[in-house]
Amino acid sequence: MKAVILAAGEGIRLRPLTLYKPKVMIKVANRPILEYVVRALAQNHVRDIIMIVGYRRERIMTYFEDGQKLGVNISYEVQDKQLGTAHALSLAEGKTGERFLVLPGDNIADPSMVKDILASDEPYSIAVTESQLPSKYGVVLLKGRQVTGVVEKPESNLGNLISTGLFHMSSRVFSHIRSCASAGHHDITAVFQSILASGERIAAVKTAARWSDVVYPWDLLDLNARVLTEGAGAVAGTIESGVHIRGNVQVGEGSVIRSGTYIEGPVRIGRGCDIGPNVCLLPSVSIGDNVNIQSSTEIRNSLVMNDVTIGPGALVSHSVIGDGSRLGAHFVAGAEKAQVILEREIHVVPALGVILGEDTVVGNCVTVEPGVFIGSSCRIGSLRNIPKNVPDNSSVV
Amino acid sequence: MCGIVGYIGNRQALPILVESLKRLEYRGYDSAGVSVIDRELFNSKAAGRITELEKRLPDAPGRMGIAHTRWATHGRPSDRNAHPFTDCSGRISLVHNGIIENHRELRAGLESRGHRFTSETDTETVVHLVEENYKGDLRAAVSETVRHLRGSLALAVVHLSEPDRIVVARDESPLVIGLGQDENFVASDLPALLKYTRRVIYLQNREVAVIRRDGVGLESFEGEPVERDIATVDWSPEDTEKGGYQHFMLKEIYEQPRAILESLIGRIPGLELDIGGIDKEDFDSVKIVACGTSFHAGLVGKYVLEQLTGLPVIVEAASEYRYSANTRYSPLMVLVSQSGESADTLQAAREARRRGSRTLAITNVVGSSITREVDSVLYTRAGPEIGVAATKTFTSQLIALYLLGMAMGKHRGTLLPSQLQELIDGLRKLPRDVQSVLDNRGAIKLTAEWMAQARDVFFIGRNVHYPTALEGALKLKEISYIHAEGLPAGELKHGPNALLTAETPVVAIAIRDHTYDKMLSNIGEVSARSAPVIAIGLENDRELKKASDLTLYVPEVRPVLSPVPVITTLQLLAYHVALIRGCEIDKPRNLAKSVTVE
Repeated sequence: MKAVILAAGEGIRLRPLTLYKPKVMIKVANRPILEYVVRALAQNHVRDIIMIVGYRRERIMTYFEDGQKLGVNISYEVQDKQLGTAHALSLAEGKTGERFLVLPGDNIADPSMVKDILASDEPYSIAVTESQLPSKYGVVLLKGRQVTGVVEKPESNLGNLISTGLFHMSSRVFSHIRSCASAGHHDITAVFQSILASGERIAAVKTAARWSDVVYPWDLLDLNARVLTEGAGAVAGTIESGVHIRGNVQVGEGSVIRSGTYIEGPVRIGRGCDIGPNVCLLPSVSIGDNVNIQSSTEIRNSLVMNDVTIGPGALVSHSVIGDGSRLGAHFVAGAEKAQVILEREIHVVPALGVILGEDTVVGNCVTVEPGVFIGSSCRIGSLRNIPKNVPDNSSVV
Repeated sequence: MCGIVGYIGNRQALPILVESLKRLEYRGYDSAGVSVIDRELFNSKAAGRITELEKRLPDAPGRMGIAHTRWATHGRPSDRNAHPFTDCSGRISLVHNGIIENHRELRAGLESRGHRFTSETDTETVVHLVEENYKGDLRAAVSETVRHLRGSLALAVVHLSEPDRIVVARDESPLVIGLGQDENFVASDLPALLKYTRRVIYLQNREVAVIRRDGVGLESFEGEPVERDIATVDWSPEDTEKGGYQHFMLKEIYEQPRAILESLIGRIPGLELDIGGIDKEDFDSVKIVACGTSFHAGLVGKYVLEQLTGLPVIVEAASEYRYSANTRYSPLMVLVSQSGESADTLQAAREARRRGSRTLAITNVVGSSITREVDSVLYTRAGPEIGVAATKTFTSQLIALYLLGMAMGKHRGTLLPSQLQELIDGLRKLPRDVQSVLDNRGAIKLTAEWMAQARDVFFIGRNVHYPTALEGALKLKEISYIHAEGLPAGELKHGPNALLTAETPVVAIAIRDHTYDKMLSNIGEVSARSAPVIAIGLENDRELKKASDLTLYVPEVRPVLSPVPVITTLQLLAYHVALIRGCEIDKPRNLAKSVTVE
């Protein structure tokens, strides 16, 4: 059995975290989202994987190479223009075998969900789940177990069963994709309609398994918190005397935790980090590789990505700090209930600090108002209060 | 340089031999050949790439065999000069990597005794000698033969009458035995073995081994039994696959952030280098010896070590150092070799020891030959590099030299603790600086389109960027075949200015350091002769932008560390130029990855 993972998309809604990398490579609990998908397949002995890549694909290829590290064989197909999921899937034609799986690379698939859909012997199956926000997804209409239609982002209430984007398919799908494409349709919904119209059956596989989609940057916080509860603690590196470690804590090779640091799990720290002295890491914090957190800083419920430096005396709460950003002394991003406007919609997030992109350099004593987005490659001078969003590549001096 | 492989076991030998050979193609690729033994000895060889050989191969059965990929040293590439070679009886077949220095005199003797030669190669001499010495025991015949050979060799020999064994021998050329379940392997280098096993035995100089399906026996050339521990390799076979990239070179350029991080992990913040305390000894000078790209890393190392340790540093090409006079002073000798197998650097290590110097090797390959020739080893942790043009191993070598300079400077007190901390912060930032160059490669691609038309390109820089310019020029010429020269910027007016025209682009590296103003004047001189200037500088350098025709930026970085993002830019530039020109990027003509001949 082979699997096709769709990983070509950019993930515009996750800007500024996706300026330099595709959404699937955003790390949650120190692993790219895509890695959870690959691992779920490997656990179900699906080892031959075709990845459809496009936007910033070098990030994916450099990380996964040919898959051997995760015990799978990965080959890559390039989608130059992101025309639609059906178009992406068509690039795998001739390489999939008769029956195969299709998965989105940007949701964390639970291994049991993969197992459920593998068990289905219908020619086509869609894994469906209940959603509280069906209007954001493709809603699946059912009669018994049979799918009667799929409606993309419906405006009226058609029920709350949505497609997870996980499909078990027959290679006959490629002829449907071709006929849809010649009519100008490149989305998978049109392909399902074409399959139904031809009289073939599509089964729905209801899954109770966890299904986690990341739509907005703050979704990363909840997902991170949940993933962190799994897995056992393991401490490598150098832990100086006077460090308190409680709960489920992982510390990677070559990391140094300096005296007086207090860590309350679940917390995950990558390799080659330098943390402390007197740093306080509270539950649900992921810290990537090569991160330097200086004295007397407190971090809670946040994702701190690779190569980040956070100066002394900082507070980072309910925040995402992108790769390679450097924050000066006394940076404050405290969490409060925040209203965020994205895509002309107002989202109320119960607790949010800052979403800060990659390679941004922030001076000393900068305070960010809750729910503010700071772009990638920004320069922010010292002694600033940042009350509103800062776009990519801009400077505040 | 060449690559050899061998297999004995339960499986069909031919596919395994061809597959293993492909993974050694970086060692040379002008001809290839294979021998398998079933009830008869089957031979096939072909000039050209291994895929040429593959096209010619019929389905030959046989569960043991040897194979070879060649890079011509004696005799031009042709079917006739390809290995394996057989003796007059056609019962013995042999592959060889190395050079037999006394082959002419041996050949004359063999010919006078009636042996018929089919090629111009030194290797064919060896198989006829084995034939002469064969008295019913292949191992004894090989041992007797190698005692009469001068030069370097790794051999694998099979005999139709002894289909249960491959006899191998090594002196001065690399050879690794891989241990499987009811099958065993042998190869010049690890990539050929990693798909099949991680358990290996490194054969050492003047050793012979008999490899059977179910066991391996080692002895010295003189016949004394040898005990050797089995080593476990922690590289995985995927480390040698292209993983979606069009070329190994691009893959390896993109692996640099990770390679740099790996080289730092566990070594900073405390600078624990695990080099036997050599960084804490007192020396009055340092000499760095290397070849090719490693030599350029050594030249950067000169500026770095002089700045951080205050010691005078001399850099010499390994092939020159060996024959230089012994001046009776005793510098710390730093030998830089990616593979740890470069013949000139190995010989230089031996010469250094003979002269009584303390020796430190910087290499990427654990257990390679050079590690046995020196007092201490500082490993770069770049992982295997397959592209012939060195990229990530160069930047990793720079990291090793920075770490060495910082550790020595710390001990000698030439670096204040605060300066050391700043450098550590700078090192920590490098993986990201390099990533940032990669993330913004659009401008480099555009520059490449413009440069691809050039016939000659000059690279200029000062201080640490003089060697960066040399390396940038080397990258361009070796993969794009455009003539390129690296020069100290101040030397232009002493001659090379005469070559500047509107058709000769000049790449000028101008980082804001103590040479910056001088670089700007040099750029002015170049422009005045209407030569187009491609400047490489720190981001937001508007002055530089005004002075140049095209400007490529690297992130703000400490001057001493700036060669790392700058060379990444130049690697990408060379890559894209070669791509536009349609060159064979991973296997440039006339070049081999590691040069195990002198």
